[in-house]
Amino acid sequence: MKTTNELKKHKVLIANRGEIAIRIMEACCKLGLKFVALFTAPDQHSEHCVMAQKLGGDESLYRVSSYLDANEIFAVADHAKATAIHPGYGFFAEDYRFARRVAQRERKLIFIGPSWQVIRELGDKINTKRLARKLGVPTVPGSDKPVTDDLEAENIAKSLFDFQKEQGVGNPVILVKASAGGGGMGIEEVTDLDKFRSVLRRIKNYSKRQFRDESVLIEQRIFDFNHLEVQVLADRTGMSPVHFGTRNCSVQSLGRQKRIEVAPGFDPTSTRYAFDAQKVLEDITEYSLRMAKEAGYDNIGTWEWIVSPTGQPFLMEVNTRIQVENGVSARIASIKGQKGVDLIAEQIRVGLGAALGYAQEDICLEGVGIEYRIIAEDPDNKFIPWVGRITSFDWPDFPWLTMHTQVPRDREYEIPTDFDPNLALAIVWGQTLEEARIRGKEFLHALTLCGENASGEALKSNISFLERKSDTVLVF
Amino acid sequence: MVDVKTLLQELREEPYEKIVIRAPHAGTVEFVSSTPGTRVVGPSGTWKEKPGTLLIRLEREKNKKPIYAPQKGEIMALADLKPGEFVQAGQELMTIRHYLTREEVIGRILRQSLFLFLAPEKGRYYFIPDVDIKIKTKGSQSVAVEEGLELFILSRMKRETAIRYTGPSGIIYAIYFDTNDSVERESPLIGVCPEDQLGQIQEVVSRVQSDWEEQD
Repeated sequence: MKTTNELKKHKVLIANRGEIAIRIMEACCKLGLKFVALFTAPDQHSEHCVMAQKLGGDESLYRVSSYLDANEIFAVADHAKATAIHPGYGFFAEDYRFARRVAQRERKLIFIGPSWQVIRELGDKINTKRLARKLGVPTVPGSDKPVTDDLEAENIAKSLFDFQKEQGVGNPVILVKASAGGGGMGIEEVTDLDKFRSVLRRIKNYSKRQFRDESVLIEQRIFDFNHLEVQVLADRTGMSPVHFGTRNCSVQSLGRQKRIEVAPGFDPTSTRYAFDAQKVLEDITEYSLRMAKEAGYDNIGTWEWIVSPTGQPFLMEVNTRIQVENGVSARIASIKGQKGVDLIAEQIRVGLGAALGYAQEDICLEGVGIEYRIIAEDPDNKFIPWVGRITSFDWPDFPWLTMHTQVPRDREYEIPTDFDPNLALAIVWGQTLEEARIRGKEFLHALTLCGENASGEALKSNISFLERKSDTVLVF
Repeated sequence: MVDVKTLLQELREEPYEKIVIRAPHAGTVEFVSSTPGTRVVGPSGTWKEKPGTLLIRLEREKNKKPIYAPQKGEIMALADLKPGEFVQAGQELMTIRHYLTREEVIGRILRQSLFLFLAPEKGRYYFIPDVDIKIKTKGSQSVAVEEGLELFILSRMKRETAIRYTGPSGIIYAIYFDTNDSVERESPLIGVCPEDQLGQIQEVVSRVQSDWEEQD
């Protein structure tokens, strides 16, 4: 394993944009590493471009045609003499073919993420389900391979309706999901077989347009669940993964897009649950580590769980990458007594070959973190994104607040329409859930976010939605 | 109805278009046609299957992308770049002076004659699948539109919204967007010819075809 000093010869190409690009730059600086960042035309006014030049100089920023052109990214990596690629989240982060090319091309680079074999194994929802079932980890009933044939899809749907009726479910519902989708995109519910065909056709068309893949997954819909996650980290030995606790991501928009994430996933000390919440947290953590060990997991990753109202957990999928919400887990963590954990820096460090250097017992979790995703959207109208110009964006720098954003504070900013609508991530910390909620609302109340679009319509945001939801986070 | 004579006169006074060739992606550049004044040709053949003059090779990851002249014309200027120099996406490489063709003149005049349905918001646009198939198999002029028809899917920030057509009934005479491009708000998406004006539009087309002389 490599020492921290040996790592310093590396230069990291950041194959991403926005706030995650900024966090990767900052993590590189923290570790004493050089970096090179990318931008595309719609992102030219993003703060990540400003930060790249500020932290790395003019030579550290390249314009590319797309964040999804692998050849172009490699051309920039070679020209900039980068030795490693950090994919961030989205784009190439879970593309095992890309990770394999990074590691196997003539001028080899390091992919800062799990090895391509691990991404291939666990990045595939079907393989993950098979591995989970093999290890006795509970999963949601449904298809265990991507389905492309309409007749086969219909048979699976019928068997899931029948299964739910046998289980005494009064109004059975199934989900049709784009196999290549993620983050809540390309999912629809079906309540009866007659409607199944039209939904299947719609999802296949959507999936073809968005992901160039028509295959779908069909699963039982579990109602009124909580969405929990386990944050896992391991070094290249893949021998001793550790966890950084759980998160609850149940506050979502209508389209199942996360809006608030809370760490830890439940708070049995202050909130009543109809089941043993502490045991559920321990169970999903143990299941996640069991799978990580079996798969030889060798970087950062998230195990995503559905927890039913009776406290039954089902594994949903594994995200073989850093996630948007990693910061809220880091916020409540300390390693060997040191606070200010940076999971992205940890990911880079172990990704470049350093040993983890600590064990599970060295990690402590304290207090409650709440992460708010600040988005220009209309929560009263299906969370439709609002597009226009942000004229002012500012907040008081509270000591318990961490902000991650690509939106400049000192100038106006046109929201690009080509990417996710996230404007900022605000993480607040409190010693207790109550304190975190109060601080969260104090922050949201003090936040300034104004703008207007070409029709003169004022900016719409989810701030009031986040304020409303703050009172009930972790209540199940 | 538009004044075709005046429009043609205006176009004759400035019959050129300046085409800037930019690097479609980052990579190392090699000029093949590098002398200002050199005549170049655009793609040809029934399906434009024969590429135009090879202007530049742009290499990324051992993959040489040929950049051909998109139109007929002559090279006006070249960027000051050494062979093998690394360029970033969007960097200006060359400028071509192009004499407008009949088809382009017709396109310009039609933009002023047809009813233009404008993009209500910035984003990527797709025809709804049924219309898309019809356009691909029978051409845009086989599609009749009327007020309230669900015609487009607007995709932005990974969200999709159905967009209904508003305007006079007619046929889609021209399409002004590509599904891979982000369309600015109020840019034209389609040009619709009301059925009762089809004769007049065809007259405009014949008039330009007889009055506009193409350059050899």
